[in-house]
Amino acid sequence: MHPTLRNAFPYVALVVLMSALVWAVSFGTLPPADFSFHNGDEIKTVDPSKATGQPEHRVMTSLFEGLYREWPLGYELDEEGNVLNAPEPDENGNYPLDAAPGVAESVDISEDGRVYTFHIREAAKWSDGSKFTADDFVWSWRRTLHPETASQYAYQLWYLKGAKKYTTSTVTLGGLIEVELSDRLRVGQLFPRGTIRRGKLLGIARPPEPQHAPDASDEDKAEAESEWQERSVYLVEENSKVVAFSKGESTSGWSNFKVDWLAGSARDLPSEVVNCLHVLPDFEATVGVKAPDDKTLVVTLQNRTPFFLHLTTFYPLFPMNRKCIETHGTPAWTKPENIVSNGTYNLEFRRFRDRLRLVKNPLHWSHKQVKLETVDVFGFKSETTALNMYLTGQLDWITDAPSTVIPQLMARKERDYVPTPLLIIYFYRINVTRAPCDDIHVRRALNMAIDKQLICDKVTQAGQQPARSLVPPGLPGYRSPLCEPFDPVAAREELKKSKYANLPGGIPKVEILYNTNENHRAIAEVIQQQWKNNLGIDAELKNSEWTTYLSSIHSQEYSIARAGWVPDYPDANTFIDMWVTGGENNETGWGNPDYDAFVKKAAEEPGLDRRLRWMEQAEEILMAELPIIPIYYYVSKGMVSPRVKGFFPNVQDQHPLYWMRIED
Amino acid sequence: MGESLQFLFRRAGWYLATMWVVYTVSFFLMHAVPGGPFDAERNLPPEVRKNVEAQFNLNDPLPVQYFDHLTRALRGDFGASIKIPDFTVNEIIGQGFPISASLGLFAMVFAVCLGTTAGVVSAIRRESFVDFSFMVAATLGIAVPNFVLASLAIILFVFQIQLLPAAGWGSLKQIILPAICLGAPYAGYISRLTRTGMLEVLGRDYIRTAFAKGLSERRVVVRHALRGALVPVVSYLGPAVAGVMTGSLVVEKIFALPGMGSHFIEAAFQRDYPLALGVVVVYTALVLLMNTMVDFSYAILDPRVKLGEL
Repeated sequence: MHPTLRNAFPYVALVVLMSALVWAVSFGTLPPADFSFHNGDEIKTVDPSKATGQPEHRVMTSLFEGLYREWPLGYELDEEGNVLNAPEPDENGNYPLDAAPGVAESVDISEDGRVYTFHIREAAKWSDGSKFTADDFVWSWRRTLHPETASQYAYQLWYLKGAKKYTTSTVTLGGLIEVELSDRLRVGQLFPRGTIRRGKLLGIARPPEPQHAPDASDEDKAEAESEWQERSVYLVEENSKVVAFSKGESTSGWSNFKVDWLAGSARDLPSEVVNCLHVLPDFEATVGVKAPDDKTLVVTLQNRTPFFLHLTTFYPLFPMNRKCIETHGTPAWTKPENIVSNGTYNLEFRRFRDRLRLVKNPLHWSHKQVKLETVDVFGFKSETTALNMYLTGQLDWITDAPSTVIPQLMARKERDYVPTPLLIIYFYRINVTRAPCDDIHVRRALNMAIDKQLICDKVTQAGQQPARSLVPPGLPGYRSPLCEPFDPVAAREELKKSKYANLPGGIPKVEILYNTNENHRAIAEVIQQQWKNNLGIDAELKNSEWTTYLSSIHSQEYSIARAGWVPDYPDANTFIDMWVTGGENNETGWGNPDYDAFVKKAAEEPGLDRRLRWMEQAEEILMAELPIIPIYYYVSKGMVSPRVKGFFPNVQDQHPLYWMRIED
Repeated sequence: MGESLQFLFRRAGWYLATMWVVYTVSFFLMHAVPGGPFDAERNLPPEVRKNVEAQFNLNDPLPVQYFDHLTRALRGDFGASIKIPDFTVNEIIGQGFPISASLGLFAMVFAVCLGTTAGVVSAIRRESFVDFSFMVAATLGIAVPNFVLASLAIILFVFQIQLLPAAGWGSLKQIILPAICLGAPYAGYISRLTRTGMLEVLGRDYIRTAFAKGLSERRVVVRHALRGALVPVVSYLGPAVAGVMTGSLVVEKIFALPGMGSHFIEAAFQRDYPLALGVVVVYTALVLLMNTMVDFSYAILDPRVKLGEL
């Protein structure tokens, strides 16, 4: 090796080291924020159409604002943000929440509860200063519902009339449709869209149906099906002419395809096929959302949905700025330098896995009532680290204290760990298609043999309440029917009634599946022991990491599995409707026609009170047949510095930044 | 310079082949694990799932996905992260890697300084009390897992003495604890390697010659013995630097550092295929690069080594 090269080596090393030092320290020049909190995890996106999850919720409710927003019942502020009236907590320490006006200043609800007319605030603005119009909602909801946006939460908008048809591209003969041609300005960007052609769907020409080989897998079949759909040709009446559109690249020989014609239509085939990207039902004609003028938004729902105002406080229904998205495209519009939002805070910067910083939006209609000027949202993943940072004053609020130290935290003299009940249930899902849990007596015995109080006192230890119902307490007007309490003697009696009681080999073994986690394992071990002692039933424990665990549950390859359920909106329906026969999230193989009937009645019931009674009757069936065993109701495990006011613990564990203030 | 270039070209060919194999094996292993990126406690309606999966071409047959992704990866584009849709894989690695790298560098500097000093002192004063206590400390450094060390350090320097911040990234104070915790096991290992290397070299003829010329002990050790003694350390440094620079999951988690270590585990757990592949490729490239640097530094340390013969 050349001597100069060799001599240069120490200097090169020194330069590298110095630049690393400068790089590392350059992060530190940041002035601290007024308020910092630990968000539990890095948020995945700030795009309302794409977000899912709790950490996202905490950021989205600050960045954006829906038609309504969550507000503590009875909390009154004057224009300057001085507190006029502070509400009192209930006996559990929780404050009831209400949907209060956000971007909309009021709403008129029709008598049948299906038409909501929102009046948009005059003062509502986007963060770039432009005026906020009702049409912004129409456009945003179209974006969320569009199949190409692929929003995981699109179904939160399916309460709107016709919305599901739009997401699933369901077109019907005789209906109005919108066809987007393949002439987009930017390939791969949904907005701005290509030329839109509208017309009445007269007929669909389909190629011969695909023949599946007898050993074809479901995936292959689905593949062939979608290819077959793709090659369909849509015959559309446009200005009293018939035009043919197709998404497929090759439509050769299409004139020989079999055509389904709308009865009574002209039936002449055009010679050419126009290539297109999407064939969807016409949004304006199909989906129940209209903006008759700049300040009025009319929403028509499929059924009466008493929790609809609460849904508008949820981020999938938040508005997005059309100009911003059309200029920058997705996902570039979510970058701090590009984003235009309408919430109480603006996004200043975002450092992946470190923090994002929010600063108060001076253009927001309620900016004088917002008291925290800058907020740091930390997105790292360790609860213990968050606790360390909280204890040393680097954080003002942590959302989840580590379970292992909770007894010590409860004894703190600052009294800043105060668990309050949440609307979240921890339960065991039972596969009712597997022996021995296919027998109702076995399931009931298993339930009665679990000492849930012991689990709460000795294992979870954070003040959780033992559960005897699926729907946690705390929903106004709803009273859950309860399943049997812990009673080992009755459990043994119940077990004797089962068809497995007299089997020579005893009752078949069960298996408890949980996702790998210390707490889940500890609970499963207690239950395993109690079943053994109280019933003589052997249970094996099996753990797998999260995604594998989920996939075992989806394919129903388990006998008993741990589960939890967090509601999207504060209503019993979100717990009840998942257990209908064949429901997507049922996954127990259980079904009961009476149950389905009650759920259906509740959905169609106009009387608010009677609706709750139908749901209670449904839950009563569930608690009698027990395809699930409720274990405990969650409590909040957050800690907040005593100098923070306006925190308002509540069953939904929602703490928007615009409630909070700091008083030293 | 000719021999260096020739050496590099020959290496590059092998490296590309290695990376292709690693990439391919990782790709198919990852897709063979049950579950997908869109599995959640709450199931998606089937129509929605179809739309979502189509966006990431997850509906295509596996070989098609493989070639699609490979052609893009060859252009240096690992696509969008599935679970973090606001960022591309390149952006995520671009933000995390420099942080892991600078932390790793500090940890390595600490490990090398402490390790070689302790090793040299131990070798010179062998079988003394100093030697014994250094080697016990080194063994402890290697044996104690860094999460235990980190917890002890936090209790001591954050809560008891209140000298340093508990976590975070941005100031020199925040780098000290993680760098020490990350570097400690390496320091232990390096000190043992140095001691062994030193003991061997000190017995050589040319050292006796140096002493015979009347050079001071200090000059003999620093100018003559150390170079030879460091050769095993240097060969250990290659993979060690690669490992330390791509981040240590545990240390990054405990000190809430926004580095790249966490992506290793999380991308795989969440079935974020593009991100997991991106991270694996970066790591592979780094290991290979570091090995090349090691070979270069043999030539720097030892004039007898010819690159062409490696």
